[in-house]
Amino acid sequence: MITIRRSNERGHADQGWLNSWHTFSFANYHDPAHMGFRALRVINDDRIAPGKGFGAHAHRDMEIITYVLEGSLAHKDSMGERHVIGPNTIQAMSAGTGIVHSEFNPSENEPVHLLQLWIEPAMEDVTPSYQQISFSPEEKTGRLRLLAGPHKDSEASAVIHQDARVYASELGAGQTLNQPLAAGRYGWVQVAHGSIIVNGQHLGEGDGAAVADERVLSLAGDGPAGGEFLLFDLA
Amino acid sequence: MALRAANFCFSISRDFMQDVNVVVVFDSTDGATEKLALAAAVGAVQGRANIRLRRSSGTPESREYVVPREADAVWADAVISGCRSECGFESLEAFAAGKLVGKVGSALRQGAGNAGIYGAMCGAGFVTIPVAPGGADELECARMQGRRVAEMARALKNTPSVS
Repeated sequence: MITIRRSNERGHADQGWLNSWHTFSFANYHDPAHMGFRALRVINDDRIAPGKGFGAHAHRDMEIITYVLEGSLAHKDSMGERHVIGPNTIQAMSAGTGIVHSEFNPSENEPVHLLQLWIEPAMEDVTPSYQQISFSPEEKTGRLRLLAGPHKDSEASAVIHQDARVYASELGAGQTLNQPLAAGRYGWVQVAHGSIIVNGQHLGEGDGAAVADERVLSLAGDGPAGGEFLLFDLA
Repeated sequence: MALRAANFCFSISRDFMQDVNVVVVFDSTDGATEKLALAAAVGAVQGRANIRLRRSSGTPESREYVVPREADAVWADAVISGCRSECGFESLEAFAAGKLVGKVGSALRQGAGNAGIYGAMCGAGFVTIPVAPGGADELECARMQGRRVAEMARALKNTPSVS
């Protein structure tokens, strides 16, 4: 079963400096029908104006993955990590017992467009950690590029404290791939750019799809230019 | 499953504890004080507090920190000050209006330089907590103090008034 969450049905908050679309309830957007999917708690589709960002704030007991689509994001945290990340980079933070961080668009003229993903950890009070891995765009072209998973993988990816895997992929128009989903597993597909077809259903930019009771995901690039998406494999 | 059940019980028991809000304020632009403020904030988060970090007026407002505002004074159950000679809330109306009476107050680090901070806090009616010695270094000491302040503030908040 595929349940589609259309882009324009998401929560929306435009604060001028921050234009944010919330797939699930977040901050001032609260909808009891959309509190997350399995361990996936947050997908925020954020556009941050040049020079703007989130001042120092805290997190606890959450796996926070940031995936930049365009532009760059400066990160600074209480673990002493200071980085600027761009596209084709996985940034994963395990907040665990507590971290404080800030995130800013360091550019003077370019906005940054990013997806921020929160996954609930399987256990509380883990030691906070920061992981950052870059990869080449080819690694996600026509295939699934693992961003994060519960174990160290042969593909350099972030290790998170949850039985969940997050992949990125870019499929050109007509390009296809099949991904099996083990019995009892759930999927979430989130389109970052362009459009794709998931098991016969069309998904446009910003659309998401909850997948249950399917044993295989047939994914294809759609439209003139295909699309980029994230796939979550969830317990 | 056992882990899920344990988490469930834990979240239930946690619901009985009141949320506690801690503001960490500092006025220095040097990185060392900022690190201590971050450490204290992390400690408070470890103590399951909500936190706000503020840099008080007198230094340029940065991207990362705004100056403390009235809403912060109202929100705070506890204030940890890393300011050089005052508590960091003096310019707020709430401070002069006596609205901070009973809130928990603490300095950020040990040392003789805290006289101004504690003097201001006592004058405003804070319940002050001295910075306890301990920790491998100043950062660890600040983290432990952040946690202690969060726990003290929660204990006070959960104590019913006898009057």
